[in-house]
Amino acid sequence: MLIRLFFNFQVSVINTVDTSHEDMIHDAQMDYYGTRLATCSSDRTVKIFDVRNGGQILVADLRGHEGPVWQVAWAHPMFGNILASCSYDRKVIIWKEENGSWDKMYEYTGHESSVNSVCWGPYDFGLILACGSSDGAISLLTFTGDQQWDVKKISNAHTIGCNAVSWAPAVVPGSLIDQPSGQKPNYVKRFVSGGCDNLVKLWKEEDGQWKEDQKLEAHSDWVRDVGWAPSIGLPTSTIASCSQDGRVFIWTCDDPAGNTWTAKLLHKFNDVVWHVSWSITGNILAVSGGDNKVEILFCSFTREHHHCVMKNTSVHL
Amino acid sequence: MKLKEINRTAIQSWSPAQHHPIFLATGTSAQQLDASFSTTASLEFFELDFTEPGLDMKSCGSFSSPHRYHKLVWGPYGMDASGHPSGVLIAGGENGNVILYDPAKIMAGDSDVIIAESDKHIGPVRALDVNPFQTNLVASGGNESEIYIWDLNNFGSPMAPGPKTQPLEDISCVAWNRQVQHILASASPSGRASVWDLRKNDLIIKVSDHSNRMHCSGLAWNPEVATQLVLASEDDRMPVIQMWDLRFATSPLKILENHTRGVLAIDWSMADPELLLSCGKDNRILCWNPNTAEVLYELPTSSQWCFDIQWCPRNPAVLSAAGFDGHIDIFSIMGGSSQAQSQRHADQISNSFGNMDPFGTGQSLPPLQLPQQTAPAATSIPLKKPPKWIRRPVGASFAFGGKLVSLENAQTNTQQPQQPTAHVVHISQVVTETAFLKRSEQLQATLSAGSFVDFCQEKISAAENKFEKTLWSFLKANFESDIRSKYLELLGYNKEELALKRKPETFFFLVFQETKAPVDEDSSSVEVSAPVEEPTEAPAPPAAHRRVSLSISQDVDGLITQALLTGDFAGAVDLCLHDNRMADSIILAIAGGAELLEKTQKKYFTKTHSKITKLISAVVMKDWHDILKTCDLQNWKEALAAVMTYAQPEEFSSLCDLLGARLEAAGDTQLQAQACLCYICAGNVEKLVSCWTKAQDGHCPLSLQDLVEKVVVLRRAVEQTQRSGPTAVGILLADKMSQYANLLASQGSLATAIAYLPDNTNQASIQQLRERLSRALGQQPAAPAAPALPQHLFQPAMVPQPAAAAAAPMPIPTPAQPQYYQPVRSASTVTSWSNQTPTALPNVPPPLQVASVLSCVTPAYPQVSQYPPGAGGVSIYQPLQYSTAPPPPPEPPGFLSQYTQPVPSQLTPPVYPGQPPISQCLSSSPPSHAPFFPNASSSFSIPPSSGASFQHDGPGSPVSYMPPPPNGVSGTQHDSDTGLIPTSQRTGLHGSDQPPPPQTHSGCRNQSSLPSPQENYTPPAPITAPIMAPLGADPQAQPVSSGAPQAMVQGPHGAQVPYSGMHQQQFSPSAMNPAMPKTSVEGAPGAPTGDVIQPMQSFPTEKILKKPIPDEHLVLKTTFEGLIQKCLAVATDPQTKRKLDDANKRLEVLYDKLREQTLSPAIVGGLHNIAKSVESRSYAEGLNIHTHIVSNSNFSETSAFMPVLKVVLTQANKLGV
Repeated sequence: MLIRLFFNFQVSVINTVDTSHEDMIHDAQMDYYGTRLATCSSDRTVKIFDVRNGGQILVADLRGHEGPVWQVAWAHPMFGNILASCSYDRKVIIWKEENGSWDKMYEYTGHESSVNSVCWGPYDFGLILACGSSDGAISLLTFTGDQQWDVKKISNAHTIGCNAVSWAPAVVPGSLIDQPSGQKPNYVKRFVSGGCDNLVKLWKEEDGQWKEDQKLEAHSDWVRDVGWAPSIGLPTSTIASCSQDGRVFIWTCDDPAGNTWTAKLLHKFNDVVWHVSWSITGNILAVSGGDNKVEILFCSFTREHHHCVMKNTSVHL
Repeated sequence: MKLKEINRTAIQSWSPAQHHPIFLATGTSAQQLDASFSTTASLEFFELDFTEPGLDMKSCGSFSSPHRYHKLVWGPYGMDASGHPSGVLIAGGENGNVILYDPAKIMAGDSDVIIAESDKHIGPVRALDVNPFQTNLVASGGNESEIYIWDLNNFGSPMAPGPKTQPLEDISCVAWNRQVQHILASASPSGRASVWDLRKNDLIIKVSDHSNRMHCSGLAWNPEVATQLVLASEDDRMPVIQMWDLRFATSPLKILENHTRGVLAIDWSMADPELLLSCGKDNRILCWNPNTAEVLYELPTSSQWCFDIQWCPRNPAVLSAAGFDGHIDIFSIMGGSSQAQSQRHADQISNSFGNMDPFGTGQSLPPLQLPQQTAPAATSIPLKKPPKWIRRPVGASFAFGGKLVSLENAQTNTQQPQQPTAHVVHISQVVTETAFLKRSEQLQATLSAGSFVDFCQEKISAAENKFEKTLWSFLKANFESDIRSKYLELLGYNKEELALKRKPETFFFLVFQETKAPVDEDSSSVEVSAPVEEPTEAPAPPAAHRRVSLSISQDVDGLITQALLTGDFAGAVDLCLHDNRMADSIILAIAGGAELLEKTQKKYFTKTHSKITKLISAVVMKDWHDILKTCDLQNWKEALAAVMTYAQPEEFSSLCDLLGARLEAAGDTQLQAQACLCYICAGNVEKLVSCWTKAQDGHCPLSLQDLVEKVVVLRRAVEQTQRSGPTAVGILLADKMSQYANLLASQGSLATAIAYLPDNTNQASIQQLRERLSRALGQQPAAPAAPALPQHLFQPAMVPQPAAAAAAPMPIPTPAQPQYYQPVRSASTVTSWSNQTPTALPNVPPPLQVASVLSCVTPAYPQVSQYPPGAGGVSIYQPLQYSTAPPPPPEPPGFLSQYTQPVPSQLTPPVYPGQPPISQCLSSSPPSHAPFFPNASSSFSIPPSSGASFQHDGPGSPVSYMPPPPNGVSGTQHDSDTGLIPTSQRTGLHGSDQPPPPQTHSGCRNQSSLPSPQENYTPPAPITAPIMAPLGADPQAQPVSSGAPQAMVQGPHGAQVPYSGMHQQQFSPSAMNPAMPKTSVEGAPGAPTGDVIQPMQSFPTEKILKKPIPDEHLVLKTTFEGLIQKCLAVATDPQTKRKLDDANKRLEVLYDKLREQTLSPAIVGGLHNIAKSVESRSYAEGLNIHTHIVSNSNFSETSAFMPVLKVVLTQANKLGV
């Protein structure tokens, strides 16, 4: 894995949205097209803005959580305009826009502690949401139609709590490049989670049951976030994880079976690293670290493997 | 939620925050005894390992100690310096001792685990604390107000923070300030707390509420606010926690009241200043927000007192509570459930049955109150307030289009919570590939401006290596005139240079021709030749003059002679071959017709095996596949050059592909790269992509840009030259383009990205990307994407017509030029050789003509005037389009003329059947010619109206041309011209008009074009002449050089159409019609490119000479012309436009016929019907009428224009104008 760092990149703010949230914002996500922005806050609300053409029109102010809302996640637009949010109030709420107005589509209360992370699976799997909670469990909510949601729960996924979940791209193991169009490929559903047990864990569905596939140990403190890189047509799976210990690891797996993962330390920060985010093209990683400041580390990941060059380039926003 | 438990009654200390993994150290408490009354003591270490299920903690080492402990603290001292990898555990003992242990050694099982030890204190040491800033400093407190500051670097001599407080009392707590490193606080059970400043070495303040009820069991500084501390009271009468601010130290700032009995211990979370733990004699463990005095959480705990409670420094959600019930419990305050708990419960029950002592230590006695011991519930409610450590303050996430969404949460300061804080989200554009984007923009600019040549030029000059430079040069050639010759030059074959080098060669070929002549003479009747010679007055080669003896002896010569005399060419050729007279056989075969020639050639090639035989064979047989398939790849350049030169347009691409494929398959990477050049020549974008991709790493953005630049440029070039269909996008190209689009999108160039997405693909990924892009751009989802490559860029100017190229139907030997099919514009670039001949031809005084009307014809003059072979000539010819004409090769002019003439119709029927010396005979001749010189025929056939003209050109041209010697070839010519011909006339040729009657025309002009005396029109002649000349000039040569003329003939198709005899034939008949003298005019248009023609038509002479179209038929002209204009207005496809343009010109034939009223009434009537149907826009009907006319009329009468008309009607129908 060759990691190319950009010394020449430019980050220019093209729009600043004043959210009018009354407390700390914890997450902000654009929809699939980059035309809408969803934000969530400790003020217990979720807001949606239309940000096309540099604008910032408040589209919705979603109230329903009784605690700080940690994360929001947009479902793929093929399912409609659907947004999931998770909160310290132990609830997951799935919101849907119908005829221009946003309403609760589903409310999940199956966790016993703060729900810290929600992530929609690849659209190939249908409407499926993974939720990680401080109660140590991970829930998988699958829409089965007709307002019904099927719930599967992995208990004790991470002792003291799961902080993050992230789905693997939909690829068929073994033939990781484009699947032949036509027949429905035999996807294996996989996702990665990170928790307060300092572990990164991979989960895989087998015969309808979720099983722990891998346990990746490298971090020496809470794993704050994990991000499974979008597939860029390579037979390599790539995961980024970041931790309270200030480290960002890049995990790669070259074998089709997905059994051998190797960790490369991308960078060690002096402060907690809260968030990692892959670019859509899967070759750039933005790393947010520190307290009340953002450090963004850009690196590009290209086809070459087994080489690792690490340098630190960061920008403060 | 309870996570773990340890069955010990012990005091505890977590490993420092820096330490990983997390350990909990336990030490036997000095003040409790278990049921065995054992006084042995020990230190133990347990690892907090969440990967292990279950409540048990793994013991990682223990040390049996003679001391029992009051206090343990674990400092990070020495961790970084490797002296003590696990820091130092400091223990306060019963007897005033302070002992430093090395936890790493204990866990490693070493015996020498004590780093240092001191018993300086009086009485038990109950209070210890490590300075958070200087971890080598440890404060300890004992009895009698003793406080010591120990420096672990110099452990032997502790210092006191100041004079002992009075009255003397026990010290129950010491604590370093969390913000200011030299401030220390101490507290005693008496309820008083003291704050020391170590810089002043003195007590600076005493804190007491004077209630005398405070029995301080705990002391803690606010982690964030330096002046705040809390004191916990053990007194059941006052079970409170007081919060003091030293700035108002008269009374507590807040009092935290909730415990019902005395508070035994407190701990303030370093991770969240709003979390304070307390445990009391009421068996409760509470978690407070000390700032609000609110209880946030109550742990679901035991029924026994907890005497010590501690946050885990490293894992902020974890705390440990040591109780008198014989357990140390590890909890999480995040709530949740634990399977482990219920598991543990079961274990305990089973244990209770056997009264076992599984550990054998005597310490595992059943808990005092078993039933209550188990956790009351599997689930617990988390903190009311989310702890700080899970409140994510930052989080930048990528979004589509290289956008980055980041949060800005203005710092929330607990001290100034009122300050309004902005909570905003920034959307940023991330550009990582600035160089890439810049180049992409340049490419866009080029695309919209169409300035490809400049673009290529820039690339060439910026190229980093030679290959790149070559590649771009090839691409650039696509946008220049005369693509193929440009390619040749790039391959190292500069025509001009070569021409110079080749001169001798040329001579050779000419000589070769000469030698031919005699043969012909031999074969044909000698007498004919004589008359011919005279008019040409050329210095006939000696051979021509030689009288040949026609011996018919029995030797081979005799046999051949006999065969010749009987016209048995095949026989003669066989004989020659048999006798190994190759030259003779070939020459005879030439005379014997195309078929025979071909056979002979084949035989020749099978017999001959020289190094270049293959090449010659390929040249002659026009079969390049073989060569390309077998040539040494090291010679790829040469092979490609040959293809450039010879390949027919329709096979050009496939040949280039063929070579490219071979190169690509080569093992040599150098050669593989060269395949790209072949694909560029072939215009094969898809292959170029695949080849390029193999050689380069296409994933680096700039490398992809490199590729896309080439692809885009090549595609545009292909579009312009129409070398291939529209712009079909192959899978690989589509893949690359979508990669490119993805890359552009990732850099925020959404609009550009969508433009590069191939339209005609059903690849899901591309369609998805398109939809995503268009939505992101705010377009309708279904909006069709803009065409990837704007078609409008196509420049009509680049007419791929092979205008001049056709002109050169030169002799076989020098195949070079004739073969060009380049989409060259006005053909000015035609190879030197070919040009010469054609140009010469017009001027040539047709010997035959003489016979006809033209009196003024003096072969010598015409040439001179018009044709300065040298530099001068060029300028003169420019108007005519033959600008490039190189100097005419010095040849024996006479020969040709002689040759033609002598040929008696009977002897060489195929060649010159109809061409008796007399011009009038022409009518019959054309058909026969056709096979031989198809190309020429077409254009020139038309003029022949008079027959005379045509013929003149032919035979005369070569002659006149070469011989011109009289005047001197070069510069002097001008003089001669002027001298010989009136300047006016001369100019007339070039563009000026020559109103005067045909006769007056300059010699050359009139001769060539002037048909019969009766007809007025003359002007067009000059044009036709050049075209025709080749034919007439060397009929023999033609079959060999076959390729050349074609282009001319097929004007409409431009370069692409190879000349084929067929086409010409069709035209020729019509042209041949002696009846229609005017046709000559047409000949001109048909010939080269439209552009060229224009000027000619504008000749005043022409106008003057032409009769008006009868009024009643004028409607035909206006209708058809109008229709063509309409079509042109609608047509977008350049090829269609060219067709239409050409049709427009070629319909002149029709108009001329109308002028001359030579068409039969039936045809004219039919044409009117067509016109009517055109008026009513029923083109289908028009086509029907058309078919009717064609099928019911004399082919020769209509073939000159009906096909054209059909094209127009078809196009009109298609375009729906």
